[in-house]
Amino acid sequence: MRAAVLRYRVMAYVTGVVLMVLCFVGIPLQVAGYPAVAHYVGVVHGILYIIYLLCAWQLARMLRLAAKPTLIMLLAGTVPIMTFIVERWVTRRFINPALDGGSGQAQPAARVVR
Amino acid sequence: MENAGPARAAAASPPAPDGPVWRFLIQPRWLGWHLLMVVSFWGMLWLGDWQFHRALAGNGLSWAYTFEWPLFAGFAVVFWAKTIRDEFRIRRGEMPDPRQAAAEAERLPAGVTGSVQARAVQAGPGPAGEEEDEELSAYNAYLARLNAEVKDHGRWHGLR
Repeated sequence: MRAAVLRYRVMAYVTGVVLMVLCFVGIPLQVAGYPAVAHYVGVVHGILYIIYLLCAWQLARMLRLAAKPTLIMLLAGTVPIMTFIVERWVTRRFINPALDGGSGQAQPAARVVR
Repeated sequence: MENAGPARAAAASPPAPDGPVWRFLIQPRWLGWHLLMVVSFWGMLWLGDWQFHRALAGNGLSWAYTFEWPLFAGFAVVFWAKTIRDEFRIRRGEMPDPRQAAAEAERLPAGVTGSVQARAVQAGPGPAGEEEDEELSAYNAYLARLNAEVKDHGRWHGLR
């Protein structure tokens, strides 16, 4: 569980940073006539986004999220800045409660599942 | 694992559907989802095809996207299938409904959490056999989540 959270968090930040570089550096440069940055960063983001999808999906399944929060989590990787906001939201609303539940509750809870 | 003790009865109370379970699939809401699914699936395949032609035309970078779009299309199908499978489980009472849980957590005033916690504690060392532990602990974690949600409910109200 913690490993999945870490993977998701790392990928959320990496993907988010690369996407911001793409949108706020690459695209203006492309408009200005230097398309190289946007092209290569675009491909990098594409690959990172696939990894992000897998990590986010795995975590969403572990947390047993409903379809809507899962979809928000997955699509966040395509909207600039959204990964950071969504990561905070998911942490506060789903990850922290689940981690608390894994350690603080009745004894059987700590042993199995998460 | 037919009856998981008092916990299950209190947790999952899906509205008893009339007729077979699969009926929900033809509700307007779900039909909308299916439509979105089909459109996005074919849309992504079409984008992949478009990138493929661009790649053939000499745009080397398009090769990456040629493989990426079909991958996303496949992912959409997996997402859709799993969502439907979960929905079947929820409606059969094999799984707590996460949306319902969230809604309940919002509706409950702060005082009510006490009873929810008490139930979790009761369920913990109860007569549950070894094989029920997994489900029980999942349920306990779930209760804890509800509890925590009620506690810091409010701050992120707009974001859900």
